Amino acid sequence: MNILVVEDEPKAGNYLLNGLQELGYSVSLARDGVDGLHQALETPFDVIVLDVMMPKMDGWEVLRRLRKEADTPVLFLTARDDIADRIKGLELGADDYLIKPFSFAELVARLRTLTRRGPSREEEQLQIADLQIDVLKRRVIRAGTRITLTNKEFALLHLFATHQDQVLSRSLIASRVWDMNFDSDTNVVDVAVRRLRLKIDDPFQLKLIHSVRGIGYRFDTQP
Amino acid sequence: MSNRRHYSLTLRLALIFALLAFALLATLGVALYRELERELIKRDDAALIYRADQLRNLLNDSNTLDLIKTKPELFQNMLGNSESVLSIAAPGQKPLLLVNPGNIEMPAVSPVPKDHALGFADVHHLPGINGVPFATIAASIDSGDLGSLQVTTGRLMTERTAMLASYRLSVFFLASIAAVILAVVSYLLVHRGLVPLRRLAAHTQGIGVGNLAERLDSHGTPKELLPMIDSFNTMLERLAKGFVQLGQVSTDMAHELRTPINNLLGETQVALQQQRSVESYQQLLASNVEELERLARMLDNMLFLARTDPASALRQRQELSAADEVERIADYFEGLASDVDMRIQAEGEGVIWAEPMLLRRALANLCANAIKYGAPRSELVIQAIPNAEGIHLRVSNHGETIAAEHLLRLFERFYRVDESRERSAQSNGLGLSIVATIMQLHNGRYSVSSEAGVTCFELFFPRRED
Repeated sequence: MNILVVEDEPKAGNYLLNGLQELGYSVSLARDGVDGLHQALETPFDVIVLDVMMPKMDGWEVLRRLRKEADTPVLFLTARDDIADRIKGLELGADDYLIKPFSFAELVARLRTLTRRGPSREEEQLQIADLQIDVLKRRVIRAGTRITLTNKEFALLHLFATHQDQVLSRSLIASRVWDMNFDSDTNVVDVAVRRLRLKIDDPFQLKLIHSVRGIGYRFDTQP
Repeated sequence: MSNRRHYSLTLRLALIFALLAFALLATLGVALYRELERELIKRDDAALIYRADQLRNLLNDSNTLDLIKTKPELFQNMLGNSESVLSIAAPGQKPLLLVNPGNIEMPAVSPVPKDHALGFADVHHLPGINGVPFATIAASIDSGDLGSLQVTTGRLMTERTAMLASYRLSVFFLASIAAVILAVVSYLLVHRGLVPLRRLAAHTQGIGVGNLAERLDSHGTPKELLPMIDSFNTMLERLAKGFVQLGQVSTDMAHELRTPINNLLGETQVALQQQRSVESYQQLLASNVEELERLARMLDNMLFLARTDPASALRQRQELSAADEVERIADYFEGLASDVDMRIQAEGEGVIWAEPMLLRRALANLCANAIKYGAPRSELVIQAIPNAEGIHLRVSNHGETIAAEHLLRLFERFYRVDESRERSAQSNGLGLSIVATIMQLHNGRYSVSSEAGVTCFELFFPRRED
């Protein structure tokens, strides 16, 4: 995946560049709007991460000019929690937005969604190592043993299984599993993950759910 | 605001007074004029009747008739002015005597019979010449040898007309002067009467953030301004209170930020004191992330509370199934509750008219508290009870009874029942104030009761208006 990051704040630009590169993406960084627009028009990117507040040319202007030429997916970053601001961005042709401060895992998840071409076909059978998930029958078998899960535990496992190797943030999990789209002050997600682990990981040698400290959880056959 | 011009109250009142004065005086003048006119006509008519009567008596005497024939000039002098007319004639003949110095055209008038006394009704009023009215009376007399004669006398009312005209002019003139005087006087009076208002305006201008405690002085102001002054002072009261609260919230927030920032700073500085293993650096960073997330959440909550745009929340309201919503919340907290051996019992029916995210946030905040403060191995009850006006949502738990003095203040920002115990990473003291804000956004109500070990929070969402 080819990503352009347009961000004037030096620290933010650096960590976005490093973080995304470490995940194996090819990343270009533009330090202001003019350069960002120039690069965006020169090179075909898969997705553009665009900061709104920038000197010389702000993100809105970059987006306006970009949309005349290309329809590269754009995710904009804003520090303002205004509904008007968000609507403006989406009206100008942005595809998604994140409000600062945001979690890095959240950004990565959104970028993946934006670059996924076409609706992904819902798989009916999932197989991860010795774990088998029958999505339709909601049946989970690990190493030949049938595991009984509650509805929410199944939803959580399904979310993990369909996002293998990705770090999922707590807020993303809360939003996908319970439809709670806000950061609550509780550790509901941690508790739910712990209970799921109790059933699908603890009795077995190979652990599938890994905590990523400070970020969230990762479902992976690799430790 | 539109560009509509503001009218002057003073000018408007002055004009109204002037118009009223003019109208009243003119009406009075016209009424008096009519009375005067009637009196004058009556007097003139009486004079005519008197003259005709006299002539009648006089002419009954044959000597007088002779006198007319021989010395008509005597009669001419008798009338005395050019506006009077007198004719004595036998019917259908040339008049025996005609005094008409003004050459006024004499209309034919039917005479009053001999045996009839003359009255006002017998006077004929005619339009006369050039609009000047002409009054005339005719009477028959028996003059013996000359047979029946007709005496006609009349008068052109020039004098009366002129007098009335000048009277009319005076009335108009006086009414106008009175109107002008009243306009000026009322302008000055109203201007003077509004002095307290200008004083209030000047005083109000002087009230700013620095002296919100100041109040408008109602001393010496008219009674009519008192309600305005009172409500303005009440408004100042509220503003001052709000301002103090706002200041308090900012202070509280700054203090609240100190804890996570202190942790971040201290932990990081200690970690940098000497070389450490990768493991401990990772631990530090993870701990930093926790603190930062806490800061971010607090920021998020503060912004949520500061957002004062009820319209957008209200626009996004939906009819939500109460059963689904309480079920969802119960599902969400199931794990957390069973960690402390609490059971969640969710039940309810009906429809909640609310913005889904805000509703869930409010319920989640209540449930998080209920689990945090609920007694282990007790039951957390979430209920939805619909009625005609809307729906009540109840979250109740068993636990320590909250003292009445705390109950009222629970919904205040950063208010904590027990300062030392509850300042933890999981609580930032804003949860219930967010619930309160959400309920206010929905024009709903919220309340809390705590009795005999059961604490119950109740939210009321009004039903959708048709």
